[in-house]
Amino acid sequence: MKLWLVVLHIVLVGTNLWVTAHFQKEPIEDNEFAEFEDFEEEKPNRETVSTSDYSSSHFENIERVNNYEEDDISIEDIDNEFDHFQDEEEFEGLDVTVGNSDIRIEEPSTLKITKVPLHLRARWDSFYLEILMIAGLLVYFINYIAGKSKNYHITETWYIDNKQILVENFSLVGDTGKSIDESIINGPIKESESQYSIYCSGRIGCDSLLIELKLIKRQDLVAVLSQLIRPQNDQAHLRIELGKDETDNFVLAIAAKKTAIHLSKDMADISVYCPEKRSGEKFNLPSGFYVMSEISEAASAILDNKVLQAFNKYTNYIEYIHISDQYSGPKQQEDVTQLTMPEVKKVLFVGLNISIKGHINKAENQEKVRPLLQLTFYILDKLRRFKLSKEGKSKTDKNRLKVEEAFLKTTHAARAEAAAARREERRRAEKKRILQEDDPGKHRKWEEKEQRRLAKKRAPRMKQLKVNAL
Amino acid sequence: MNNSMDPRRPDREIRYRPSVVNNQVQSGDDATPDYMNILGMIFSMCGLMMRLKWCAWVALYCSCISFANSRVSDDTKQILSSFMLSISAVVMSYLQNPQPMTPPWANAMQ
Repeated sequence: MKLWLVVLHIVLVGTNLWVTAHFQKEPIEDNEFAEFEDFEEEKPNRETVSTSDYSSSHFENIERVNNYEEDDISIEDIDNEFDHFQDEEEFEGLDVTVGNSDIRIEEPSTLKITKVPLHLRARWDSFYLEILMIAGLLVYFINYIAGKSKNYHITETWYIDNKQILVENFSLVGDTGKSIDESIINGPIKESESQYSIYCSGRIGCDSLLIELKLIKRQDLVAVLSQLIRPQNDQAHLRIELGKDETDNFVLAIAAKKTAIHLSKDMADISVYCPEKRSGEKFNLPSGFYVMSEISEAASAILDNKVLQAFNKYTNYIEYIHISDQYSGPKQQEDVTQLTMPEVKKVLFVGLNISIKGHINKAENQEKVRPLLQLTFYILDKLRRFKLSKEGKSKTDKNRLKVEEAFLKTTHAARAEAAAARREERRRAEKKRILQEDDPGKHRKWEEKEQRRLAKKRAPRMKQLKVNAL
Repeated sequence: MNNSMDPRRPDREIRYRPSVVNNQVQSGDDATPDYMNILGMIFSMCGLMMRLKWCAWVALYCSCISFANSRVSDDTKQILSSFMLSISAVVMSYLQNPQPMTPPWANAMQ
């Protein structure tokens, strides 16, 4: 809240500065222009005078030269012609300016020298926008430091709160990937200023648990401001990699509305195996949840009384549960043609909200998240025990086969092309190897072999032609 | 829940490998720093070439946002270079013309 006040204050000060600057600016500008207008009026006169001055003196010189060479009449003519330049009466109105012209010419240069520093000194407030920009940058960095430390603090408290339950379940908690010999550096791994991960491993039924704490980007002022318009939650994403043969194959996702749309659209496994979204009310889930299930048998087995109870009690704190044996990450772009099926993993994802709209009530929150972590382990153990019925199993196997066939069909042409390219490459390598050897016998042998191969390649076509001819 | 037996299995420990996990989970996750980097570059170019002071300032802000959103694994050189570019855009535009900045909407208001 303090930051809001600071931001508001700066905005108000900024607008105030801007308004005052505009109030002062206009009259000053008017005066300046008035000065310039005077100059503009006088300038042409001055110029004509100076040129006429120059021409008169010039012609006087010519006169003197001509005096020696030409007749009196012609001299008189010239005199008559340029006499009016010396005639004071001709320049009655301009006399004053002619007299001052020397001073006036010097004036612009003196103006230039004196005016610039004056202008700078007098109008610091005209740089109001620059001051505003620098103030904005300062506020941004203050918010960066404050947000960064707040996010770190949230992660630390979350880790301390839940360490007990993690230690009870995993033999390796908070691994950072660094060697154990380098002293104990266990704890959250920093991914960015708003994202931390906690890695645990060594539990029955799963290979690893990766908890990703995706917090609100409190370090970024823009994100903090957008939080006002579109509030977001601090979230913990639990990614459990299941043991290979410990669970049956099926895809199931239970998610809140927004996440459900995102999952069914972007996740490859959900969009392929269970594109149908069903309202959670049919499964006695609170409204707002959607179930995407490959086979209903699995959905009803997983959503037993205990799980339903947890869903009803912590409706706001559960974002999604995603169980899959075919997880391959988000959907690939269509133009990316892959020749092999994407690598799949058996996973259990659970998305939890740590805070609702950024408000963390510590005591209450701690009470709430702990049972949810327990719920995750409960589902994990249940998955290990749960076995699909025969029909269910054959159905899921059929589904996987169908998907594989469809994939092979779509990539047939591309795979054939790749195989041909590979074959060609192999042949070229062989040819290169043979040519590098100096043995002419081997050369001949290879050429014969190559010719035979080419002939063989042509042969069936010839036969076909013959058949056609008949 | 399920406290009857100890679920821990030290023999099944798998050490943390950042590269494997990162590639799958976080690819394309948050593109803000990249967008801001590009925007910052465009704005600083505008600031430098068209002598628009506000563009240079916006570029500076873009690189700040890019910096705040960057991941730990990101290349620090990129962020540093975007900062250098935007700061040089601001400095150059004020060296060329030390007049105060006119906001882009000033012309429309007068």
